[in-house]
Amino acid sequence: MKTTPAGETAVGRRAPRKKYSLFRVLNGLFFLVFCLMILLPLWKVLVDSFDLTTGYGMKLLPEKFGIAGYTSVFTNKSLYIPLINSVITTLSGTTFGLLLSTLGAYVLIQEDMPGRGLFAFFLLFTMIFQGGMIPTYIVLRKLGLTNTLWSVILLPAINVYNLVLMRNFFDGIPKSLFESATLDGCSPLQTFIRIVLPLSKAALAAIGLMYAVAYWNDYTNYKLYITKELLYNFQMKLRSIMMGSDLPAANSGAVENTVQNAAVIVAILPFMILYPLLQRYFVTGINLGAVKE
Amino acid sequence: MENAPPTNIKIPKKPLSIRLLKYKWFYLMFIPVLAFVIVFYYTPMVGIRYSFTKYNLIRDPVFVGLDQFKRLFSMPNFWSAFYNTLKLSIVKLLLNTGMAVVLSLLLHEMVNLKTKKLAQTIIYLPHFLSWVVAASVFQLLLSPTTAGLFNQVLLKLGIIDKGIYFLGKSSWWTPTYYVINIWKDTGWGTVIFMAALSAIDPGVYEAASIDGAGRWQKMWHITLPALAATILTVLILNLAKVMNLFESAFVLQNDAVMDKAQVLQTYIYYQTFNSGGIPDYGYTTAVGLFKSIVGMILVLVCNYASKKVRGRGIV
Repeated sequence: MKTTPAGETAVGRRAPRKKYSLFRVLNGLFFLVFCLMILLPLWKVLVDSFDLTTGYGMKLLPEKFGIAGYTSVFTNKSLYIPLINSVITTLSGTTFGLLLSTLGAYVLIQEDMPGRGLFAFFLLFTMIFQGGMIPTYIVLRKLGLTNTLWSVILLPAINVYNLVLMRNFFDGIPKSLFESATLDGCSPLQTFIRIVLPLSKAALAAIGLMYAVAYWNDYTNYKLYITKELLYNFQMKLRSIMMGSDLPAANSGAVENTVQNAAVIVAILPFMILYPLLQRYFVTGINLGAVKE
Repeated sequence: MENAPPTNIKIPKKPLSIRLLKYKWFYLMFIPVLAFVIVFYYTPMVGIRYSFTKYNLIRDPVFVGLDQFKRLFSMPNFWSAFYNTLKLSIVKLLLNTGMAVVLSLLLHEMVNLKTKKLAQTIIYLPHFLSWVVAASVFQLLLSPTTAGLFNQVLLKLGIIDKGIYFLGKSSWWTPTYYVINIWKDTGWGTVIFMAALSAIDPGVYEAASIDGAGRWQKMWHITLPALAATILTVLILNLAKVMNLFESAFVLQNDAVMDKAQVLQTYIYYQTFNSGGIPDYGYTTAVGLFKSIVGMILVLVCNYASKKVRGRGIV
């Protein structure tokens, strides 16, 4: 193996093999087809969102290019308010979520804190048994949170699974760092802010992103707790546009289908822009769950 | 304690009061977490008492004993929703996991790292799109009108002579639902398997090659056994969640396919918020309690299985 040229290390570590075996060609072709199948539905939506004709069908490029679908989405008040709501809930929800999961995780790693085991059980039990959809609805309603954005911000902020992921990460920080911080006179809160959080940037990014995606994509909680249209997020709005009940006046020549397609693209756009840059953090997130294996 | 450095050998545990005092700031920091869990998880648990009452949120709940459960168990709609929940989630789980394993094995065989990275980036993508977006995309793609690409292709090829309502016809809905799930989640499912695969010592493959093992032999005798524990873990972890199926079925269902697409959570939703009359919260709480209990049994069984298989539980 030592004679393998440097450029071929990945192959070299395994058996020496022909550079283009039939298997490798077929494997490559398989992934080409698979990736195209993943992307095709999204591509078709993108194409149709720019196409101003009505004869969609099999075209994979716009026949009559135009951005009327998008101007319809962005100039219509009934559509940009949901966008603003989505941004507000995503930002504030992610903040709340990170705050709760880091605080909880920090407490759970204090090994000889009296009551720690009880706290852990208290949190984990919620993963085994839940009150269910209706009792939760009744609680939120009695608290006066339904039909306010608080319901869709606060409820998903406490996510025990994310808290456990954060604890798994904190567990990996050497305990001696905490001890020396204490010796230097740091209070627990100071240790948390000055030592734990700066060391956890990767986990904060990963878990923060998981929260952000969940908030941006949230539909269930809105469907359950929000009936006021003014408080809808973009997913709710997109849904009613797709159901045809709530189409913004198709102005400047945009047809119904174009507006629907454009709305789908707007819903995924922020994520699509950030995704290539942030992909590694998502993978970090799932690997945190595997730390204890 | 055995491995502790000699500087702090076997210090007897300090008295409780001193330890409580030492951690006072931590208790303070835990208060927000505790408050959220109590309000959003434990108070609803107290609410399951409504399942023994008739309750419409306007008048006080009236105790009716087990009447709601008797009503529930005599409802054909309930049983069909229960059956659909189990069927849809379990078949989906097996399909997604199986596909994810195959995809990971093939990804693992990819030699060019740049292509591999690109393929991974693309196949992970749909997982992060919302179910509303996925439903919208496929509603447009599978539409039986001239706007639906898929039907148009089938028509052009002469495979069918009339557009098919993939999401609007009972017999087509279930397979379509599985396909959309595969599109959305299989790629992301490979992440955990890829992590397990990268942990295999390349030396093992080398040794096998020297012994004359071919690609398939290596895959069968080295790679797959290395994945076995992870596959079981994934199945167990997800089996515990099968009763929670809601959003994916909810956004893809419509009146025409309810016999196949109604699951327990959507049944609860429609009975409460879309029943036409004043809802009986007692009844839907009872359905929810049944769902939670079955879910809890599944979690405990999976937890036991997990302890047997991999030496630690899932919760």
